[in-house]
Parts: sequence; structure tokens; C-alpha cells
Amino acid sequence: MSAATTYATRKARRPQHISIQIVLALALVYFLVPFWWVIVASSKDAAGLFGGTSALWFSDRIVWADNFRKLFTYDGGMFGRWLLNSALYAVVGGVGATTLAVLAGYGFAKYRFKGRRFSFSVLLGTVMVPATALVIPTFILFSQFGITNTRWAVILPTLLNPFGVYLMHVYTRDAVPDELLDAARVDGAGEMRTFLQIALPLMRPAVVTVLLLTVVQSWNNYFLPKAMLIDNRLYPVTVGINQWQNIASGNNAGTTSLWSLIILGSLVSVIPLIIAFLSLQRYWQGGLSIGSLK
Amino acid sequence: MTAPLTRVSTEAAPGVKPSRGPRKEPLRRQVTGWLFVAPFALVFLAFLVAPLVYALYLSLFRNALIGGTSFAFLDNYVRAFHDPNFLDGAWLVIRFSLVLIPLQMAISLVIALMLDGIKNWFTRFSRLTIFLPYAVPVVIGALMWGFMYSRRFGPLTQIFDIFGASAPDFLSKNLVFAGLLNIVTWQWAGYYMIILFAALQAIDPTLYEAARIDGAGSVTIALRIKIPLIAPALVLILVFALIGTLQFFNEPSILLKLAAGSITPHFTPNMYAYDLAFGRGSFNYGSAISFTLAAVVFVCVYIFMFTTRKRGNFLS
Amino acid sequence: MKRKPFLAVALTLAVAGALVACSANGGDGGEATTAPPADGGGGTDATCTNTITKTDLPVVTMWAWYPNMDLAIDNFNEANDEVQVCWTNVGQGGDEYEKFQTAIAAGTGAPDVVMVEADRILNFQIQGALSDISPYVTPDIKANFSDGAWKDVSVGDAIYGAPIDGGPVAMIYRQDIFEEYGLEIPTTWAEYEATARQLKDAGGPLFGDVGANNPALLMALQIQRGAEPFVYDPKTPEQIGINLNDQASKDVMEYWGRLAAEGLVGTDDQFTPEYIAGVIGGDYATYVSAAWAPGYLQGAGVGQEEDAGAWRTAPLPQWSAGDNVQVNWGGSAFSVSSQASNVELAAKVALGVYADEATLTDGWVNQIIFPLNQNVLNSAAFNDLESEFFGGQQANKEVYSPAAAAYGGTAYSPFGQVYLDTLQEHTANVSDGTETASDALDAVQATVVAYAQEQGFTVIE
Repeated sequence: MSAATTYATRKARRPQHISIQIVLALALVYFLVPFWWVIVASSKDAAGLFGGTSALWFSDRIVWADNFRKLFTYDGGMFGRWLLNSALYAVVGGVGATTLAVLAGYGFAKYRFKGRRFSFSVLLGTVMVPATALVIPTFILFSQFGITNTRWAVILPTLLNPFGVYLMHVYTRDAVPDELLDAARVDGAGEMRTFLQIALPLMRPAVVTVLLLTVVQSWNNYFLPKAMLIDNRLYPVTVGINQWQNIASGNNAGTTSLWSLIILGSLVSVIPLIIAFLSLQRYWQGGLSIGSLK
Repeated sequence: MTAPLTRVSTEAAPGVKPSRGPRKEPLRRQVTGWLFVAPFALVFLAFLVAPLVYALYLSLFRNALIGGTSFAFLDNYVRAFHDPNFLDGAWLVIRFSLVLIPLQMAISLVIALMLDGIKNWFTRFSRLTIFLPYAVPVVIGALMWGFMYSRRFGPLTQIFDIFGASAPDFLSKNLVFAGLLNIVTWQWAGYYMIILFAALQAIDPTLYEAARIDGAGSVTIALRIKIPLIAPALVLILVFALIGTLQFFNEPSILLKLAAGSITPHFTPNMYAYDLAFGRGSFNYGSAISFTLAAVVFVCVYIFMFTTRKRGNFLS
Repeated sequence: MKRKPFLAVALTLAVAGALVACSANGGDGGEATTAPPADGGGGTDATCTNTITKTDLPVVTMWAWYPNMDLAIDNFNEANDEVQVCWTNVGQGGDEYEKFQTAIAAGTGAPDVVMVEADRILNFQIQGALSDISPYVTPDIKANFSDGAWKDVSVGDAIYGAPIDGGPVAMIYRQDIFEEYGLEIPTTWAEYEATARQLKDAGGPLFGDVGANNPALLMALQIQRGAEPFVYDPKTPEQIGINLNDQASKDVMEYWGRLAAEGLVGTDDQFTPEYIAGVIGGDYATYVSAAWAPGYLQGAGVGQEEDAGAWRTAPLPQWSAGDNVQVNWGGSAFSVSSQASNVELAAKVALGVYADEATLTDGWVNQIIFPLNQNVLNSAAFNDLESEFFGGQQANKEVYSPAAAAYGGTAYSPFGQVYLDTLQEHTANVSDGTETASDALDAVQATVVAYAQEQGFTVIE
């Protein structure tokens, strides 16, 4: 495309751009308002929250410091514990699920073994099985083995990520040339070494994408931990905040107004993921396209 | 990042294995292949197959307050299909899907198209911020919106006051459907949008040039070139949305506390299964409901995939 | 880059190893404040909100949600040298029951002692989840509670809970609103309706609220009219009488539906921040509620701001002038679960916690609970209490004690939750006019009967 054409077409497109960007800005407002609300609301105390101050602007008392302090000291620092739990479940679950998905994806993509097509079809079919439909029987099975109400009960089921396997398979199939693998084998490298040193570096973008997706899924997990856990010291932050919300509605926190804690806690629990997404943009923005391409 | 993408677009047609050597792999290699898949397969068997089989087993029994556990064969399923709680819930999630999915797709598509056309810091920033709600746990998102919907404490009342109108009560029985629609759209539009955006980015720009030379405007390009080329991605997010919506659980179960008159414990089939199992201790019937729901999702998705197979889907 | 998978795998294994070392049973290993569960502990590895100082004594785990529970537990632990209590609040009402239900299904994880409202005891007992504590109810303890109180926690001769508090129903009202509009305190439901109209015509706020999420209150009001929802005889446990759509029930439902339709009362859900704000702000002139309401409201911030001192209480309106039909909403007991490894110790805890004078006094002075303990009910201090919330009114003497005295007990069902959920659903329909009261209750009857039959009961209608 010649420079002249580019300039001319760019000039012609400008007014369109303006109107599109205005629409975008409006969309942005819609998507950002709840975040803004949480930031503003988390700075208020109970009187500010329920006393009729404007919902989208600060009240005359900004008590972030106080709310922060209360958030992390209430009930013996339970919230901090919940954050750590979430992190544990997310990292262990995410890393574990990714490891399994990477290995399996590689296996499906680069090896032609008997039963491969059948297994892969079954795998794809199960992408459609809702995770929640599994929680009830998993709960009962776990209770037979006595591992309900433990951290394992939350982590083990999250190791399963058929979609991750699919993503890895699709990416690996195209990103890792068979010729390279064959060359390595001819050179005498074992299968594992070939995988680790040749294939894996080439699979990196997909690995990061799957890792991010599984970590997010685990961090946001609600139904499974809620069903499995009774001991509130094992709760992830999602279930914990929900419990606070129930207590606050029943007003059995005595004199503490839990709502400030709930709102600030919500804000705090969202921040780690946002940071993760912002810092790993490069990977996931492209990576999410993998599964959709032919 | 672009290297693999262009390679994909020039690959052989889907489903055709490029011949790469002898058809029959040496046994050692086959075993290695299985070994790589084995860890995942174990987890798969343990946490998907086993629970599913067990759920099926459970659903064949009934456990009554009087009479205890007894073999019921398909009675639970017959009961499910006559159970107004289940049927109403199923009808609700179907209606919800019918409204939500086109809406979400349209929003995600329009935003993706807008972002695809312009490249500056603002659109990059928009891309990120519109995606952000995905990072919010559903529990928290529902809580946030629950507060936002509050007639007394939320901003809606104040915003509507500016226009002299009274704010709708999205937690009332009539509007809770819309209220939930809004929350789900807010949470997921960005995720689908990114998928579509990435697909749009992968289109060869020379196609646009050719079209422009032929005199096509941006809208025509969008409709005639972009959308058809990203049809697989569209199908993909449709499937995701369908699966997710039929299993609707998180948002309504959180809002239940705030809108007890509008949302019942059996508002969606998943909630009903949960209430049966954990609220009433009816694990058998609860499993039957779960299983029925899973089967319904399965069937719906397969039907959908079948009817869109010409458009290309990821089942190849 | 190559190291990444190694790191990942190594990290996973390391963390996994740490987890295994950290005990598979849920509790973090080295929690200094937790006594190792000895003979008394049956359920979870202790996660105590309270601190146990006498660490050599056996521990009994307990779930309860009273707002001043920490005081009750500390008082008990300090005074007791036989056993210590490890308490947590895992949620109120339905939330706790869900966890208890889960633990029952899993066969483990239930506490030794669990707080259960009177109307849920039968449901748990019939699942075999509760232990009979009648062997441990000494005559002294027996004398502390009325026959009615014991009846509510018993199934036949077996006792499944230690009574703690009850919920005689009365009508709280805003003195300031009544004065401003010159209203008379209604003593009958007809007067209630008329006064509501009077207030509306004068441009005042709503007279009250009929929230859909109070099915237990609605049930009580129906009983006040003469309804007998359930007839259950433990000697014939497979039979149950269900009568949810009799004329009395329909009258009450229709009454409130009419008041809602005419805009005399609100239809907002209660127990939400929205509702509380309305209560504080004077949106409702009356609040038909139980004796534990003042404590709950105060905890939510009511009676402390512009509405301080504006509240009073009056006896529940009657259907016929001069009647004295009193009913009950709520009220809980401490039950011993069947997973308790040492039932005797657990029973001692159930019967001993919240039974000491200091805790009881704290409870009723702050109107958190309405104690069923006869020593308290008959005491002058209790009856002469000038309630701060009610602006100095002697609420117990004037309203709550007589109400409790006239209450005769209620027959509950083994599937109360199903009934309440169904009633709630249809009340919402009546409130927004999509169902008539009569149809609503017919539907409730049909649903509950179907459920009971499906569960193997022989239903007598």
C-alpha cells in the first residue's frame, strides 16, 4: 500500500474513528462503573454506605486505612488466610492443571498411538460437561474417602481441564514441527528430553495462556469449595466473602458492620488477578485465539 | 506471536492428517504417547468419569425420609420431567440463553469490530478494561451488582433521578431476569470480545485492501469479510455461552439473599440440584437432576455443533 | 525458559508435599489456641473462634450464631472444669443447616453440639442426625423450662435439644409516627387495617411490611387464626396430617395480600440492608416481629440515629376483640449431633452453655434473646426491665412475657424447609398480585402433600 493511499484513506476514516471512539468510551463507562463503585464504597464506613451519601462519590469520611485494618484483623485475620488459600488453590491447581494439559496436549499432538482419536473425541465431548454437575457426586465420593473438608478436596478436581488439553493440542500440532522432533530423536535424544528442550520452548505462548486461564478459574472457583468445605479456615476468598455477606444480612456480627469489610475485601480479592492479567497481556491476548482458528 | 497464526492459515484443510512418515508408529512411541497423556487421563478418570458414573448410580436410587434408600431405577428421571421446579428452571435457563447469547454475541462482536478498526492507545486501553470484569470472581461481581441495584444505596436511583424517572428495581420479580442478564453480560462480554478480536487480527489485511479498491466501505468489509472469516470463533463462543448459561448457578444463588422474593431455590436446574443435595440431603434426586441437566447441555451443544458444522467448528 | 516446566513441576510437588505434611484433616498443624480433640471432640479438627485456656480438658465442638455467643462460651469455659467448648459461627439458620446437612451426608464434619431452631429439629431427628439427651436432663434442669418449651424440642419422650430462647410475637411500632398522625394502637386486625388506611389517607408512610422471606412468621399468624398446619404424632411417624389451605390460613394470606395490594403495607424482603434502612428511616409504622427483634434491629443500627427512642411495642393484634391467642416465631435450642463421640459431655455442654446467669442476663438485657429459662421469666428484674430500645417501656411485663405465657406450643413437620420455601414462593406471588391467596395456598398444599407422599409419608388431609 503506497504512502499516498494510506494517508488519504486515513484522513477519510478520521470522523468515523471519532464516533466509534465515543461509543467505545460509553462502553468503557458501563464496564468500569462497578469497579469505580467498589473503590468508592470501600472507602466508606457503615454510616457512609447506608446513610444516603451519593453512591458514586466519596462521603466526607474516607476510612480506607481503618477499613483495611479491620479487614485484616477481623476474626483473627481470617481474610488474610482466605487470600492465602485462594492463592494456594489457584497456583497449585493452575500449575497442576497446566502441567497435565501440556503433557497430554503434547502427547495427543505428536504421537500417533492406538485409541488416540477416540480418546480425543471423548475429551472434547467432556468439555461440555458442566463442572457443577460433577460436584455432588464428587462430594459423596470424597466423603467416602474422608477427604471432604480438606484442601485436597478443592485442588484435586481443579486439576481437570479438558479445554486446556485441547488448546495445547491445537497449538502444539502446528507450532512444533515434526521434523525438529525427528531430528532430535535421530541425534539420540530421549523422548522426555526432546519434549523439554525442543518442544516446550516452542509451546510457551499456549502454556502461559492455559496457565493463566486455569489460575483464573481456580481463583474464582465458588461452587466446588462451598460444597466441599465446612471449616472456614480453608475457605478461598470467594466463599469467605459470601459467608460474611450471609452473616451481615442476618446481622449476627454483633456491633461490627461487616459490609465495609465485605466491599473492601471484594476489591482486594480482585486486585491480584487484575495485576496478573495486566502483566501477562502479551500472552493471553493472542493465546485465546488459538482455539478458534482452523 | 504471529508466526504460528499465519502458519495455521496456510495449513491443510482440517481433519486431514498430513502424511509424515509411516502410518503405524513403533510400539515404543505409542507407549510414550500414552505416557504423556497418562497423568491427565488418570485425573480425568478419577474426577470426571468416576463421579459421572457414580452420579448415574446414585440417581437410580431414592432416599426417602420414611423408608430410607431403595432402588428406583428410572423413577427419579420420570419424576424430574414432571417436577415443576425442574421444568420451570429449565425453561428459565433456556429463555435466558435465547436472550443472553444473541445479546452477548452482538455486543462482543460490535466492540471487537470497533477495536479492530482503530489502533491507538485508547483502543488498547479499552480492550484491557473491557476484559477486566472477567477477572472478577462471579461471587464478587454478583455482590457488586446486588449493591448497585439497591434502590436505596445503589447509584441507579440517583442516576435516574437526574432524568426525573424512577429507577427500575432489578431485584424485583419482574426485572430480576434483566438484572441477571446485565450481570452476566458485564462479566463475560470482554472475554468473548477478546477471542473475537484475536480472530479478527489474524485476518490477512490484504483482503481489506482488495475490498477497498473495489469500493467497499468499512461496514461492508465488516459484514462481508470479517464476520464470515471469524465464523469459527463465533461458533466457539456461542458454544461456551450456551454451556455456561444452561448451567446458570453462581449469580442467582448469590442474589438469592438479596432478592428472596424474586429468586427461588430452584430458580435454575443447577440451583435446584444444589438445594436438593445440600439443603435437603436428597443426594439421589439431586444427582438425577444434575445428570439430566448435563445430558440436556450435551444434547443442546451437539445439536448446535451439528447444525453449524459447515461453518467450521473445533470438533475436527 | 526451559526451566519453566521444571519449576512448575517442582513447585507443585513442593507445595503438595507441604500440604500432606500439613495434615489431611483440614486444620493447620500448629495452632496454639486449639486443644487437641480428646474424648469430647467428634467432628472437625478444632477451628475455634474462642480461645481455650484450659488445654488439658476434653473439647466439645459447637456451632451457634447468637450475637453474644462469645460471652456465653467464655463464661461456660471459665466456670467449667470438666469440659471446654470450641465454638464457631458457621452461619445463621439456613446457612448453618446446609453445612450440617452436608456433614450428615458425608458422615463426618458435624460438630458435637449444634444450634437448631425448634422447627427444624424434627427434620434432623428423622434423619438420625441428633442424639437423644433425655438421660442427661436432670429434674433441676427440667424445672427450668415450661412444658411447652420441652415439647418443642422433644419427639415423643426423647429430647433432642436444650431450649434456649423463644420468639413470642408482638407488634413493634413507631411512637413518633403514631403521635404525628394521631393514630390509635390497633388491638384487632380489623383495627390494624383501618389504622393503616387512616395513615395512608393522611399521606403517611407504609403501615407495615409483609416480606415474602418470612414464611415462618406467616405460618405463626395463620396458627393465630386457628390454623393447624401439621399434625404429627411421633408414635406413628409415617403418618402426617397436612392442612395448609384451610379457611383460617386463607383468611390470613388474603388479609395481607389485600393490605399489600392497596399499598397499605410494603412487600419488601426483610433482613436486608435495604429493609433496615427503611426501618430506620421511618418507612414502616409497625413491624410485626418476635421478641428477639430488638436485639437484631439494634445490631443492625436501628434505634440509634434519628429513630432513637421512637420505638414501642404492643401486643399482637387479635382476630376478635378480647382474644389472647399468642404465637411464636423462631426460637432455638442446642442439639447434640449423632456424630458426637462423647454424647454425655456434649449433652452437658448443650444444657450448660447459655444457661448461666451472666450470659442470660446479657442476652435479655440487650434483648438479643427472649430466654425460655423460667428462673429468668419469673424474675422481677426481667419483667421490670425498662428497655432502652423501647424508650424505657417495660416491654417484657407489658407484652412479651404475657405472650410467652399464653403460647401453647406448635406442631412442626419433618420437612419444614420444603414447606417454608414453598410458602415463601407463593407469598411473593400474592404480594405482587400474580396469584390469589386461595390459589396460592392450594398450590402450597398440593406441593407439600406431594413431597410428603414422595418421601414415604401417609398424608392425612
